Amino acid sequence: MNNAVLNSRVASDPVSYDDSDSPQLIKLRGVVKSYNDGALTVMDHLDLDMHAHERLVIIGPSGSGKSSLLRVMMGLEGIQEGTIDFLGTQYITGTRNKPQKLDPRLQRQIGMVFQHYTLFPHLSVLGNLMLAPTKVHGWTKAQATERATQLLARLGLESKLHAYPSQLSGGQKQRVAIARALMLEPKLMLFDEVTSALDPEMVVEVQNVMLKLAEQKMAMIIVTHDMHFARHIATRVVFCANGKIVEQGPPEQIFTNPKEARTREFLEKVVIFD
Amino acid sequence: MEYQLDFAFLSGSAPDLLEGLWVTVRLAIAANAMGLTLGFALCLMAMSHWALVRWPAQMFIEFFRCTPALLQIIWFFYCLPFLFEVYIDPIPMGILALGLNLTAFNAEAYRAGVQAVPRDHLDASIALGLRPWQRTIYVVLPQALRSAMPVLMTNGISILQQSALVAIVAVGDLMYVGKDIATQNYRPLETYTLVALIYFLLSLPIARLAHVIERRQDAVVER
Repeated sequence: MNNAVLNSRVASDPVSYDDSDSPQLIKLRGVVKSYNDGALTVMDHLDLDMHAHERLVIIGPSGSGKSSLLRVMMGLEGIQEGTIDFLGTQYITGTRNKPQKLDPRLQRQIGMVFQHYTLFPHLSVLGNLMLAPTKVHGWTKAQATERATQLLARLGLESKLHAYPSQLSGGQKQRVAIARALMLEPKLMLFDEVTSALDPEMVVEVQNVMLKLAEQKMAMIIVTHDMHFARHIATRVVFCANGKIVEQGPPEQIFTNPKEARTREFLEKVVIFD
Repeated sequence: MEYQLDFAFLSGSAPDLLEGLWVTVRLAIAANAMGLTLGFALCLMAMSHWALVRWPAQMFIEFFRCTPALLQIIWFFYCLPFLFEVYIDPIPMGILALGLNLTAFNAEAYRAGVQAVPRDHLDASIALGLRPWQRTIYVVLPQALRSAMPVLMTNGISILQQSALVAIVAVGDLMYVGKDIATQNYRPLETYTLVALIYFLLSLPIARLAHVIERRQDAVVER
């Protein structure tokens, strides 16, 4: 393992893992984002590379802006400085803090699932899945229904096709939300603390769906507080604090033998080492 | 009390009353059609980021909320033709006055509904690639309509009651016909009681329906 990997601030020539056969998905360079006129910096000249087969889990103390990267990638928030490339094309540039209009052809390659339930309550499960494909991307109803039915079957929700969100459990809602984000066959999935709002007994069913996606080589960026799950699903764990990447590497290394004192300190608070 | 109640004479006036009732129903339905559609448009304008759009909309709302409906109707009937030299038939004019009044009140009801749409739902619809107007039509409007429905229905009933005010400018609605019959027969007690009963019976089912919808909404509060 090349040591430069572990410190993203060696920015002039960031080194990726030796998997050059899989294409580069994301490239962040010098990304700066702060709130309240710079009072709170959540991304401080951040550099990050990600390849198509990777599953990044971002961990770190609350308020360290873990979700910000996901929200920026999705076009929900803007950045002040730096550039983000997606699929080899410049996707976001830092100008102002406001979200900029992102190239819809690139944006549609990204799916996102949120912490809170975001299924639209006035639409059935099928209606939720069909909305974007039919209204935005010109699919026919038949095409969208077919894809939705397949997806739901894969997630064990085929019986819920015509149910309304209010009739679903929390775990089912999140699984449907994942299915909705998968409708357009994204190249990258973003998971923003998707199990945090769930009762414990429902966490596993959602995590199993994510593991299934992992088996299918879906690229993901996951923000979670569940270190056990992080260790299980990640190909790389990124520990962030104060807007900087403190340490990153394979889960075994981060969780059993962290190099940085700051990482150790954080992990001692949240994990029971065995 | 020596007064002898006599409702029998009213049977002869039934055709007139029905005609008045029909005018009232038309006024109420047309005003509601206006209020439900323009009300949402006005609500969006009043919530706009652009001051140039927001200000006139807010002025409009405040004008109708802060002046008596009776005065608004009189103003429309006497001042509008005078100022703009437009002459509109009494019933369309009545619809316009009542409809714009309802538009202002419904805009406020919609606004509460729009503000109740969770921020996360907007994020999700952006993530799904919906364009701003698609978010409004497919995500915000249905949810806002749903949560604003009890208030919209209450407003709708109240415009039915307010429609009686157009009698003052000689629109031949139920109230106007009633007033006519009462003075012709010197029987205001019976006539106005019957007219009141008709308004009541017209409104009650809608009021009950609004109540049921509200209760059902409370029952399925989720999130």
